[in-house]
Amino acid sequence: MKRDQKITRLAKKLVELSKDNGVVTEAKVGEVLAGLKQVQHRHHLTVLKTFLNYLRREIALQTAVVSTPAALSDEALKAIEATYSKMYGRPVTAVTKQDTSLIAGVRVRVGDDVYDASVAGRLQRLAENVK
Amino acid sequence: MSSIVEQIENEIASFQAGAVKSNTGKIVSIADGVAKLEGLSGAMYNEMIDFGQGVYGIALNLEEDEVGCVILGDYSKLKEGDEASTTGKLLSVPVGMGLLGRVVDAIGNPIDGKGPINSTETYPVDQIAPGIIPRKSVDQPMQTGIMSIDSMIPIGRGQRELIIGDRSTGKTTIAIDTIINQAKINNQHRNEDGTFPEGFRPVYSIYVAVGQKNSNIARTIAVLEKAGAMEYTIIVSASAGDNPANQYIAPFAGASMGEFFMNNGMDALIVYDDLSKQAVAYRQISLILKRPSGREAYPGDVFYLHSRLLERSARVNEDNGNGSLTALPIIETQAGDVAAYIPTNVISITDGQVFLETDLFNQGIRPAVSVGLSVSRVGSAAQIKAIKKVAGKVKLQLAQFRELAAFAQFGSDLDAKTKAQLERGARVVELFKQKAFNPIPVEVQSSLIYAVQNGYFDAIDVAKIVAATSSLRDFLETRGAKVMDTIRAEKAISDATEAALKTSLAEWVAGFSA
Repeated sequence: MKRDQKITRLAKKLVELSKDNGVVTEAKVGEVLAGLKQVQHRHHLTVLKTFLNYLRREIALQTAVVSTPAALSDEALKAIEATYSKMYGRPVTAVTKQDTSLIAGVRVRVGDDVYDASVAGRLQRLAENVK
Repeated sequence: MSSIVEQIENEIASFQAGAVKSNTGKIVSIADGVAKLEGLSGAMYNEMIDFGQGVYGIALNLEEDEVGCVILGDYSKLKEGDEASTTGKLLSVPVGMGLLGRVVDAIGNPIDGKGPINSTETYPVDQIAPGIIPRKSVDQPMQTGIMSIDSMIPIGRGQRELIIGDRSTGKTTIAIDTIINQAKINNQHRNEDGTFPEGFRPVYSIYVAVGQKNSNIARTIAVLEKAGAMEYTIIVSASAGDNPANQYIAPFAGASMGEFFMNNGMDALIVYDDLSKQAVAYRQISLILKRPSGREAYPGDVFYLHSRLLERSARVNEDNGNGSLTALPIIETQAGDVAAYIPTNVISITDGQVFLETDLFNQGIRPAVSVGLSVSRVGSAAQIKAIKKVAGKVKLQLAQFRELAAFAQFGSDLDAKTKAQLERGARVVELFKQKAFNPIPVEVQSSLIYAVQNGYFDAIDVAKIVAATSSLRDFLETRGAKVMDTIRAEKAISDATEAALKTSLAEWVAGFSA
């Protein structure tokens, strides 16, 4: 996909418009999409794709994907949410994901950052250090 | 076996549990050794990126939404969508005495099959060159063992002297000769227990092969091994088959290994063979990274690529390690064109150049050093007195000879003075012919030049000068060994030594029959 600076800029602005108090909400995104439909941009499809791309990235920044081999309690999830919201200075919602390959422990992904406290990750690091 | 168990136990003991943070990204595209990654929002410029499976890369382009990364090593297993993470480290290579005698790749992994490298220290590949304060002027000689260079284009420790010429004009040979000569000098002074006497500064060599055929590298190693120079030499190899990122990084890795010696009060010599190929590899990377291209399609920072590398060669003062790193970069020209982009860049960065000419090479004048175009800007301060005394006039003499020789082709009637100049010049040219991988010690060099300058060769036919030179060299190294030892120790030709030398030379002339 060709990167057009104007479209990139527009898409980023649209992402900003989709936020309510710094959080992307469904209602706001719906408003933005409705607005886009009315305007009928010349490169409508490209704008939409770019918007989707940046929106995904923004949502990823607001989501903590918590991978564990077994299910976590609600309290633990709440604690994780609170910790990361404080760390990043923005509301972060936790989403759970089951991953048995971790053996035990937990791995949290917020945007590009990965916090690894799993047994699998520790073993891998140990293997690298010993080598 | 128990040591391995102990090592693992130590690792486990010092192992930090708890969460480890890393910044990750996904490969969007990968081609020709360059990967574009989405994410990696925390990546730093020149940071090592871990692609898993032991493959690493360097972040070179930090863009708004993407990171451009060159991959070191085998990238055939990587694919679109694979995850990579930051390491928080700059690319580093092992350094130290344990590398001597080894052949390593661009990131310091051994490739000679002699097991792991015994080294505990690592240096980042890209380091900032010493500034003004830590530097000291060049005043110690780096003898190449090649008579024409040591007498006319002397090189000092800490200097950067470019070796430039067309393909197959003997560029690598000059560099290898220099490495062999350093090993010879080291061996000459080495005590039986392997230590060096107080006051003697051994020179360690690093040979960086960039973009060369593996067969050529193997041949170079064989030559060095045969000459006994490998034990003082590190070979960094990024052959033509290695990916461009390795070819780009290899000279920097070699420079880091050399800096270890410089920072620890030792002298080192580094040969970059050759920087034209490194520039080509860098051009390839830059074009794939879509950086704007300039003249000859090289990127805008190709000058900085070489200047930041060569600036790392320096002589530093006592407060900063009291060592030196001498660089002999090699540049290959196309049809003798020194005005091309890369040659002019490197000529302007270095402290002089040894220019080799195809014509001279084909005429049998080997090493094919062009006296008119070669120059050393700082080396004369480092010449020892013995050579300075005899070689002061040689350059002028040869220049005059070339001019007269061209002129003399048109007329046969020449006055006695011109004739004498032509005769002497022809003998000097013959004297400077030297076989490959056969460096001559500086005391013998000065005596040979002394002999020509003082007419000891005048009676010998020009065609027989080469034979006479080798005969005189043998004579000086055997029967004249005492005089040679004196010159080597005093580093000058005193009146008494001169008298002894004259006696020796007279003895040789009497005995020599061509």
